Amino acid sequence: MTPTNGGPAIEAVGLVKEFERGRRTIWQRLRREPDRRERFRAVDGVDLRVDRGEIFGVLGPNGAGKTTTMKMLATLLEPTIGTARVLGFDVVRDPREVRRRMGAVLSDGRSLYWKLTARENLEYFAALYHVPPAEQRARIAGALTAVKLDDRADDYVERYSTGMRQRLVLARALLPDPELLLLDEPTVGLDPQASRDLRDRVRDLKAQGRTVLLTTHYMEEADQLCDRIAIVDHGRIVALDTPAGLKRTIAATEVVHLEIAAGATDAALLGRLERAAGSLARQEREDGSLQVTVHVRSARDFVPLAFDAAHAEEAAIRHVEVVPVTLEDVFISLTGRALRE
Amino acid sequence: MTLELRAALAVARKELQIVRRYPLQLINEVAQPLYQFLLPSLLLGATFYVGGRAIGLQASAGTEDLAGYLFLGMVVGGLVAAVFWDMAFGIKREMDAGTLEPMWLTPTRPETTVLGRALSGLALSLLASAILVAVGILFFGAAIAGALLAAVPALLLASVSMIGVGYGIASLVMVMRDPNFMIDATSFTFSSLSGVAFPVTVLPAFIQPICYLLPTTYAVDLLRYYALGTRPLLAPGLEWAALVAFAAVSVVLGLRVFLRTEHRMRVQGTTGQY
Amino acid sequence: MTPDLIADLRAFGAAAMKEWRLLRRYPARMFGFLFWPIALPLAYVYQARGYAGGSQAAVEAFAQRAGTAEIAGFLFLGWAAYMWLSMILWGPGTALREEQVRGSLEALFITPASRLVVLFGPVVSQILWALWMFAVVGGALVLLYGVPISPLAALRAVGVVMVAVPALYGLGALFATVVLRFGEVGALVQVVRGLFTVFCGMTFPIVILPEWGRALALALPPTYLIGDLRSVLLTSSNLVSLAPSLVMMLALGIGLCGFAIVAFRRTERFARRGGSLAQY
Repeated sequence: MTPTNGGPAIEAVGLVKEFERGRRTIWQRLRREPDRRERFRAVDGVDLRVDRGEIFGVLGPNGAGKTTTMKMLATLLEPTIGTARVLGFDVVRDPREVRRRMGAVLSDGRSLYWKLTARENLEYFAALYHVPPAEQRARIAGALTAVKLDDRADDYVERYSTGMRQRLVLARALLPDPELLLLDEPTVGLDPQASRDLRDRVRDLKAQGRTVLLTTHYMEEADQLCDRIAIVDHGRIVALDTPAGLKRTIAATEVVHLEIAAGATDAALLGRLERAAGSLARQEREDGSLQVTVHVRSARDFVPLAFDAAHAEEAAIRHVEVVPVTLEDVFISLTGRALRE
Repeated sequence: MTLELRAALAVARKELQIVRRYPLQLINEVAQPLYQFLLPSLLLGATFYVGGRAIGLQASAGTEDLAGYLFLGMVVGGLVAAVFWDMAFGIKREMDAGTLEPMWLTPTRPETTVLGRALSGLALSLLASAILVAVGILFFGAAIAGALLAAVPALLLASVSMIGVGYGIASLVMVMRDPNFMIDATSFTFSSLSGVAFPVTVLPAFIQPICYLLPTTYAVDLLRYYALGTRPLLAPGLEWAALVAFAAVSVVLGLRVFLRTEHRMRVQGTTGQY
Repeated sequence: MTPDLIADLRAFGAAAMKEWRLLRRYPARMFGFLFWPIALPLAYVYQARGYAGGSQAAVEAFAQRAGTAEIAGFLFLGWAAYMWLSMILWGPGTALREEQVRGSLEALFITPASRLVVLFGPVVSQILWALWMFAVVGGALVLLYGVPISPLAALRAVGVVMVAVPALYGLGALFATVVLRFGEVGALVQVVRGLFTVFCGMTFPIVILPEWGRALALALPPTYLIGDLRSVLLTSSNLVSLAPSLVMMLALGIGLCGFAIVAFRRTERFARRGGSLAQY
């Protein structure tokens, strides 16, 4: 890996991507009718700076604009407004320079040729990545070793498990010996063991001095892997900090989930709970019971108050769960919704 | 330039590697033209024989060698099919399989990857054609003269022109949701109007000018002229000149259209759609 | 009518509706139903012109062998049958395999619907397209080539097509079973299509073939379909005179359908034992 000039790995300013909803028929085009399609912004003004050598996470629910942002940085998509520089090169003016230095995992194992072996797939892509012929063999061997597929390199991809295919996709992204890796939801569809393996591989990449930009909607993954995280929602970054820093924004260290068999006095009960906790992070009716989530500094102090409130309103608390603050809680506090909604 | 060429060859190699793993498909490359076109056409032609001779074909084309006439037509027919289905429609297959985006993430130019598919398609087509011509000579009595070799440059020039056409068709494939019918119909029409199966002089007068606008018309005409001594449509010198002109213009135009379409796809974000 | 039979008939209707809906989602393919019935035979008509070369002797040689001098009619009808066969092979013939690849075959098999619904359901919506295709061919012959087709002749042609239905769709069902069992699709379709193209007289009269070729041709249902269509539309034969041929086609049809059902049941049992319903 030959580092380019200094400066951040990624610098994006005011990135916007607009799409048109609906179709414009050939007749409409021929008749030069005005384009009345609705325009929507999948990415709505993203400013991003990723330093070299860090693992930077972009966390958000489906449809938040994560993949669209990734594709703009990967030069697959042109921004509507704004600029982005990857490793010092503008993604619109110098896309090939970007592609020479970057590896990306933007799709799953379907993006491999199943009727070729792993090695044949990598030989093919090595040529497309302009890997010098003299280095090709070593580069392929290195990539296979990095993802622990050496012993299965000569098997057809169609015989691989989903996890193995995903690792091979990562191996492909390593062929250009990239300074920067873009990983879009790399563990989607993988079982827990396969996900853990892949996350270990990502940590290895950082240890090698590479920069990783990673999108995910799994908050545990972002929490474990990333040095810094940007939380995105509706095409915008709503928060950006280290995982610990983000959790501190809640001004709480514990999360208490209550399941209450409540009657018609929800409002009164919720009022009491809110006074006891300071605020309610979430409340909803589910299967006839009331689910309440609060963020508190001390669950030990709050829980007795919760029981008092329930007793006063003749409600019964069926279940209490105390967990540490997670990024999901941060997301809920910022957006009012869960990551998985 | 070397790296791009290497990438194009890698694409061609990959296509051939995959095809090799479908042996029935490989056999079909030779068998399909035989049972879908050549045999039905030969049998139709035989129905017009008088005293065992193709006197009708002699009158319309200048040769009685029905088998030679058809098998040579198939050589160019295979070229057209390779460009339309392997080169152009191949993009759709990559899109459907999810492999187009990863290719476009590399520094290799998209037009180079399309060229690579053209190379593999043309190579397969050439090999199949060579086998078919041999079959025509050995089993169907095609009397193809050695002068055929003089027409090989015509095939090469036509291939270059067709690559330009292929870029244009590939552009359409990239923007259409369901290009199957378009590819099928235009490939068939292109072949028919090139005179692959019959002399273009039997077509209605208002259609014939279109035939003269297709590079493959001249390629198949020169092939037959040199190999069978048929009556050429134009003076051979003129036909050679037309082929050279087509080769020069077609690639430039086709590439331009392709690059514009590819750029449009990046703006609209449709590279990953299928 | 038993409740099960009523339910199965309803299931047939649902299967047909599903196929129709899927077809409608690809409007470009509908153009094919207008383009191919005309373009494909037309190419052969021009070939025939090339082979005739303006020579009266050549045209007479054709008429003597084919039994008609209506070259366009001869070729259009042959290709109409070829296209119908293609539709069957690519449609009902591959439907089961496509369900298997998509992963929806198991979902079909766990329903109580008769297996005949699974096997023959896709056929029903297809027949309408086949009739449309024949109408386009007929229209092209009358309007482009002035081939005189009386309403009575057209009705007789419909009769021939209806008699051919069991044979051709039995072929399609048998093909579907083979494809399900062995997994190959594209190449097999091409081979079978090729076999019929070469031996059923689609572009030529079967008298041209050597004796062994003629014997093989007479064992294939499309041969009778093409021959009978040409007879009723080009030589004004009536159905009575074609009775032996029609009976043969019907007998082949019943035999093929029966064979297809047996083969399908065996394949299903094999798949259930080996777990291959969901594999591909």
